[in-house]
Amino acid sequence: MTVTRPRSTTATTAGTGVKRTTILVVALVVLGVVAVVSIGIGAHAVAPGEVLRALFAFDGSSDQTIVRDVRAPRAVLAIGVGAALGIAGALIQTLSRNPLAEPGILGVTAGAGFAVTLGSALGVAASQAGQLGLAVVGSVLAALLVYSVGRQSPLRLVLTGVALTAVLNGLTLGMRLMFPDVLDQYRFWSVGSLAGREQAPLLLPLVVIGVALAGALLLSRSLNAVALGETVAHTLGTNVARVRLSTLVLITALVGAATAVAGPILFVGLIVPHLARRLATGSVPWLLAYTMVMGPILLLVADVGSRVLLPTGEVPVAIVTAFLGAPVLIWAVRKYGVAAL
Amino acid sequence: MSTEQKSTKDKAGKEHRMRTGRSLRRLGALALALTVAVTGCASNGAPAAEGGTRVFAADNGQITIPAKPKRVVATGYAVPALIEAGAPLVGISTWARGIPLMTPEDKATYDGLKKVAGEQAAETNYEAIANARPDLIVIGVPAPVLKDIDVNRLKAVAPVVAIGPTIPSAWRELSRKQADAAGALANFDRTQGEYKAKADQIAARYKAVLPQLKLGHVGAYGEVAKGNFQREFNGSWGTNIAQDVGANYYGEVKKKGGGSKDVSEYPSIEELPTAFAQADAITYSVKADGSVPPAVQYALDSPLWKNLPAVKAGKVYPFRYTEAATYKGAMMTLDAIDKAFAPLLAK
Repeated sequence: MTVTRPRSTTATTAGTGVKRTTILVVALVVLGVVAVVSIGIGAHAVAPGEVLRALFAFDGSSDQTIVRDVRAPRAVLAIGVGAALGIAGALIQTLSRNPLAEPGILGVTAGAGFAVTLGSALGVAASQAGQLGLAVVGSVLAALLVYSVGRQSPLRLVLTGVALTAVLNGLTLGMRLMFPDVLDQYRFWSVGSLAGREQAPLLLPLVVIGVALAGALLLSRSLNAVALGETVAHTLGTNVARVRLSTLVLITALVGAATAVAGPILFVGLIVPHLARRLATGSVPWLLAYTMVMGPILLLVADVGSRVLLPTGEVPVAIVTAFLGAPVLIWAVRKYGVAAL
Repeated sequence: MSTEQKSTKDKAGKEHRMRTGRSLRRLGALALALTVAVTGCASNGAPAAEGGTRVFAADNGQITIPAKPKRVVATGYAVPALIEAGAPLVGISTWARGIPLMTPEDKATYDGLKKVAGEQAAETNYEAIANARPDLIVIGVPAPVLKDIDVNRLKAVAPVVAIGPTIPSAWRELSRKQADAAGALANFDRTQGEYKAKADQIAARYKAVLPQLKLGHVGAYGEVAKGNFQREFNGSWGTNIAQDVGANYYGEVKKKGGGSKDVSEYPSIEELPTAFAQADAITYSVKADGSVPPAVQYALDSPLWKNLPAVKAGKVYPFRYTEAATYKGAMMTLDAIDKAFAPLLAK
């Protein structure tokens, strides 16, 4: 017997597919434009011709060095960190089926902060490479602890993460109060920024982020089933425990690497999945695809803002994302309501 | 007799005149006794200073202080200044940042003195200060930080003069004022004379080369955020002592922000080429042990640094002891500057 899909349903599915693809293409174009703006704008004015020559005919002048060695790595970093935080937020929201979940809820960010503080107190966090390594170790250990305690259910995972975050933040605060030097180092690390990272060893964290992003896309179909509920996912033949573990590993890698290179940046992991979910209309693979493009757009825009807001010096990008993200999130929720998971 | 005791007595005297009844007079006398006891001046007070009192102009107003104080408590920037001046100290705050600039004798004095406050103004130990029984308290913290200290509580112990730093180069006048309040001007002026003689001697040797140079300075004082560097102009921490030997740091801040922000700023690393494009030579601050602070190292490691004309010409000089805020400390800075600039004389 042959089952024929009604023509109207096929047309609707095709229409939805075209619409989703169009949105993705538009988002990619916007990302390209914002990336060019990010490379072209900064504290020092560089002529557009010099920007192009810096990228394609580098002659070592100061203007071209600014573009190639300061702004271009920073734009790449913004794209990587924005995508990592956005995807991590989408993963944790899908896994926990909680629209308020954000990447830090699993204790990963607090673990990184605690490790950097402890490293500062022990005198091993003076260099950027040292801070980066400590943040990665801290995030991984925190994630392992949270998973070992709360692996039975998403709710237990989140509760364990919240509890661990509270404990680690308390310990971090105590150390900062006891050792003023630690306070100094932590203060600069704790406000996420993309500035001044061009001298840090960024290749490895960016590779980790790239691999984890690819992993998230590969996992997206299984997450589609998990998003329908554990029972339905089992019925559809999905190994829920394996998907949950894989998702947690990916979140840890993404948030750990992003936090290590840029420090804690809030709101990106919360707001971007919210905005993308409405466009994805219930599809986790499309949610992840949109998030992967919109996260970098938000962070690049915020980073350009961070360079031009003050007459001298810069505002850390985490402050701009908070100022930018909070009103946008409130506006979106008031206008459209909370998108269903 | 302390000012506090005098004012309390005056107050009680007025009350006495207002009241005619015998029982009320007794009550007034009892109130006086209680007030004096609560402030701790009667049972726990300092020995009265000799030579009467005088009115002293401080950040916190016109303060009546002993003409020749015998027991002085110092905090903040007043600590190294008054140790060097040989003031009669009975208690100090900790002052870790000044230790590398202390002579062995001054370090021994610092170690031997009772610590009555921590490094931060908020760490003031009021009981410890009261127990030190001072007849004068000299607070050497910037005016905005003064709000972290309960000055009224300290005034109940002894007269309080606040003399805090304004712009970095003002340490000369402020440390003299602190020494004056503590009655230790003689030693202070002697050290000041030694400093001036040393600075003049070095300036004479560099007269042919240094004043002609347009200089820039990369510092590490205050909060240098990621992606920024500190540029210091004339009158700042890293530059003001070098100016005494003829150095001139060209330019000025884009926007004055008060205090040290009148003479230094924190631009983005992108502005490094513009900031030092005209500099014939660049100096930078290093720690007392000669190591480079992270904020300065960031500028030195930037690919933009290598393109600067002064760097290409090899005219880059590290300065130690740039935090000096006393004449003895500044003499160490003079030696460090002399050593750093020595290649200028060889060419």
